[in-house]
Amino acid sequence: MPQDFRRYILKKTAYLTLTLFLILSFNFFLFRMMPGDVARVLIPRGADEETIARLTEYYGLDRPPLEQYLTYLKQTFTGHFGESITVYPGSSIEDLLVPFLVNTLILVGIGAVLSIVVGMYLGRHSAWKRGKITDRFYSTFFIIFYCMPTFLFALVLLTLIARFSPDWPIKGAYGVDYGSYDFLGKLADRTVHTVLPLFALVVQSIALFSIITRSSLTDVLTQEYMVTAVAKGLKNRDILRHHAMPNAMLPIMAAIAMDIGWIISGAIMIEVVFSYQGLGYLEWIAVVGSDYPLIQVIFMIQAVAVIVGNFAADLMLFSLDPRVKI
Amino acid sequence: MIRPFVEKMKARLLAANVSSSRREKIKLLLKETRKIWKRYKRNPNGMVGLFIVVFFVVMALFAPLIATFSEPAALKWADVNPAYAPPSLEFLFGTDFYGRDVFSLTVFGSRPSLIVGILASLISMILGTAVGLVAGYLGKMTDEILMRITDFFLVLPWFPLMIVFASLMGPSFTNIIIIIGITSWPWTTRIIRAEVLSVKEKPFIERARGIGAGNTRIIFRHIFPNVFPLVAANTVFLVANSIFSESFLDFFGLSDPSMVSWGTMLEQAYAKGAFSSFAWWYILAPSACIILLVVAFFLIGEALDEVLNPKLRKR
Repeated sequence: MPQDFRRYILKKTAYLTLTLFLILSFNFFLFRMMPGDVARVLIPRGADEETIARLTEYYGLDRPPLEQYLTYLKQTFTGHFGESITVYPGSSIEDLLVPFLVNTLILVGIGAVLSIVVGMYLGRHSAWKRGKITDRFYSTFFIIFYCMPTFLFALVLLTLIARFSPDWPIKGAYGVDYGSYDFLGKLADRTVHTVLPLFALVVQSIALFSIITRSSLTDVLTQEYMVTAVAKGLKNRDILRHHAMPNAMLPIMAAIAMDIGWIISGAIMIEVVFSYQGLGYLEWIAVVGSDYPLIQVIFMIQAVAVIVGNFAADLMLFSLDPRVKI
Repeated sequence: MIRPFVEKMKARLLAANVSSSRREKIKLLLKETRKIWKRYKRNPNGMVGLFIVVFFVVMALFAPLIATFSEPAALKWADVNPAYAPPSLEFLFGTDFYGRDVFSLTVFGSRPSLIVGILASLISMILGTAVGLVAGYLGKMTDEILMRITDFFLVLPWFPLMIVFASLMGPSFTNIIIIIGITSWPWTTRIIRAEVLSVKEKPFIERARGIGAGNTRIIFRHIFPNVFPLVAANTVFLVANSIFSESFLDFFGLSDPSMVSWGTMLEQAYAKGAFSSFAWWYILAPSACIILLVVAFFLIGEALDEVLNPKLRKR
């Protein structure tokens, strides 16, 4: 196994590096090959002579394209992402990005764990009771919430809360006096502000993961060795835990790994609706203000996050696969 | 409902001056279609989905007749109607911030959703199927290169990708269709390619080649008809996806703001504070329509999958 594993990791890492490199290049060419002048995309309209000269120098806009590309790669690897042009005019993107990134990580991190755990639990329950009234009930709900666009659910939630609990904060990742609180106060403030967006975010992915778990587990439960397990007189809990789940786990993990991008997409919608100061919200302001350098960097972060996530999931899948561990 | 139509088509086709082998083929096709329809009819979920879609299509086609106000999007209503009036006999779904009738707006809003849903999935289907057919059939280097490109687009998060394309291309209705079309094809390609790989190993392909059929002919006349059931079911799923994407891009402010669509209605509701005024009708009407339509296409897709590809999902 170790040799196989090593070769697999090497192959995957090579592929990851190549993909990351392609994404960086794609990001560069996409924003520069669009119709119109590059300067329109990278330099604010109506900027003074000095700013134009500085930014031209910074991006190397007066140089040949290849040199611009190399400059871009170098700057990206050293963590210099350029300047925001309309949202926070003149401030460097790497500095203004950090708080937004942290907020998003909180939302997406907790959301991902919560939806995997709860989704798998509900899916397991539903698969065990398949065909019965409980399962019908669950499955109907899964389909409804899976088909319900996340931002619609968030909007409905927002309306209801605004009406029936007007004091509950519905905007932002923290309150206005956030800076003046001590640590516990900050934590409480954040929790109160994060509960609603988090709830809206996980509902759809819980439904999705439940559907995946249910169908994967159903495949296993209808196989003949399940009848053997029942005939042996094993307890239901043991059958589920030791005979069914391990075999159903692989397809579940694979499907969940494929859907990491979903959670990021969901987070964008949620952040916009709740004005939660995360990357998605920043992307929205940037899009509204046509702040292309900012959009470019945010897209790069999102793409890299999804790819690295997939990579991690691949490795985990490989180490989970019982066929390799002999 | 469909039988008289089929009979008429059959009569007309048989009467036309066509060769006998052609006639035989058409007869077979009709028989096959009728069989599929018969099986589809037995699927209650599929029928519910079909009913909802027909309902919305009729609504879109006859929008001016159904809407209780003509030109519902005009700003002149602000002087005539009250703002945020709750649902009543005059305003079936209430009015919005500008005093416009939400019912009429909702009826007209079905048009862009259906148009985008269908056109965008057509673009995506054609692109995805073409790449999948070519990659799967030719194999070797072509397959390798095409599939690496597909994989690359598959790992890119499609949602942010759509936002980036839309912000670069500028807000317009046509751009939305193109963007949704060109960001959703890799899934189709993957599915089609896998199927092509298994179909092309079947003996009848070799026989066709033996008779002297070229690659183009084999792809279009022999392989495509065999993967078509998969394409059909997949396209219906794509429609659901496109409708949902369109509503969000509208809401995100990336589409033509002067257009009446469910997404722009929601955007205006959000921007004009329909939440704090608890104008639930303004949010509920477009949301419910989006969900109904998406679920309907989802149900049709499931039913088609079950009818057309029974081997893939016996359980």
